[in-house]
Amino acid sequence: MPQSQKKILLVDDDRFILMLFDKALSTEGFQCLSASSVADALEILKTELPDIILSDYQMPGADGFEFRSIVLNDKRLKNIPFVFLTSYTDRDMIQRGLDMLAVDYIDKETPVALVVSKLNNILQAIRKQHEKSMNEIRVAAEALNLSSVPSEPPSVEGFKVNFLYKSFEDYPGGDFIDFIRIDNRFTFMVLGDVMGKKWGAWFFSFNFLSYIRSAIRLCVFDGDLSTASIIQKINKVIFMDPVLGDVLSTLSLLMIEHETGKVYYSGAGDLPLIWYKANEKKSVTVNSSGLLLGVMLEGQYNEEVMELLPGDQLIVVSDGMIDFEENGEKKSDYDLFFNLIQPILGNEGTLEMIKSVTFSEEKSKELVDDCSLLFIERK
Amino acid sequence: MLETSQHNNYTVAKLLIKEANLDVADQFKTEMLQLVDKGNSQIVVSFENVVYVDSSFLGALVSVLKYAMSKGGDIAVAQLNKDISNLFSLIRMNKVFKVYNTVPDVFA
Repeated sequence: MPQSQKKILLVDDDRFILMLFDKALSTEGFQCLSASSVADALEILKTELPDIILSDYQMPGADGFEFRSIVLNDKRLKNIPFVFLTSYTDRDMIQRGLDMLAVDYIDKETPVALVVSKLNNILQAIRKQHEKSMNEIRVAAEALNLSSVPSEPPSVEGFKVNFLYKSFEDYPGGDFIDFIRIDNRFTFMVLGDVMGKKWGAWFFSFNFLSYIRSAIRLCVFDGDLSTASIIQKINKVIFMDPVLGDVLSTLSLLMIEHETGKVYYSGAGDLPLIWYKANEKKSVTVNSSGLLLGVMLEGQYNEEVMELLPGDQLIVVSDGMIDFEENGEKKSDYDLFFNLIQPILGNEGTLEMIKSVTFSEEKSKELVDDCSLLFIERK
Repeated sequence: MLETSQHNNYTVAKLLIKEANLDVADQFKTEMLQLVDKGNSQIVVSFENVVYVDSSFLGALVSVLKYAMSKGGDIAVAQLNKDISNLFSLIRMNKVFKVYNTVPDVFA
């Protein structure tokens, strides 16, 4: 189902009206859910989340006002635009509806074409208002210089390091990326994904990044360069944090040793990384063992050491990269992703090719989350 | 969004939704916390109807687990479809939750 198709819930005890609107709105591209009573409508709302509700006032059993009141008291449903449909032009009745935060009312005598235009206008006005608010937050975030993704990749001796990041529908999300250079010998690379979406996750990503940055610095000061030990310390702090303890995050932590070409890797609930071995011309996956940050006090983290040879490549991804949509159904499929990029690895312009395959316009339509990818190649 | 039933020594909470995502995560958490508060500390969440789970929903699931554990309880999951089961293994959620193929006789 294309994302632009709007879902509308129609509630009316008059089956003729239901059929009439269903037909007219379906022709106009709406997906219609019809209910002939409030009880039916509530049953539908258990599993569906329409973009707009159009409901009659007077119905046997619970009436439209009662329905509106139930919807208003449900956190999940209360923000769905609600329009009353009525054959009454009783001002008191209309006022009562509008008092219950209904966005509008429509007279049943109104020609169907006009009803469709009215509904489209309401949805468009809401979308515009939403875009305006999003823009204001974005401007504020930019003014505060808040960013969970670096502006450009670092330069690392002997390596080509880069990253790709794509937000979901232009919302910032929970993915975060950072590169921390420790003198001339080591560079840490961080890729995480705060679970959740859009602004909530984005906001928490800064807290996670702050803990991660300080943990890395403090451990290095103490001479602790084990990625497993660093990640365990991060995990412990987050587990105990009263706010972040309820927010989960994946983390892939890599440390590049510039001189030897060794890459040390530990992960928390992250996806396997992909290692392209140039001399064997094949790709393998490397799994970490640790739990998501903040789930349990002991996160069971291990450390993998990969000795990269010239031409070897490493790919680290967030879970948005493995989400696909097929026949209108979403699914996460790591193997599909692996098979998609495997033939591209080991080429001169691997990163550009990955970008064109995974961030193509066609693929963007399937995106359901923000996507990040780290790319490391030993020169 | 949950249909609950009592089994031998635990409660089954069956999800009545197809997509377990951000839109329903909060409600799921609220309903589950209420279940735990009512003394149902051992709960198996059935994903029989669910075709897709997103990370926000998983966050809610873990949050409920932590709450249940603090009350001496436990949360398990059952009837994950192939994709969701793979996702659980990929991000090691199978080390955090007991995973049952079918609704078990006894929560052990």
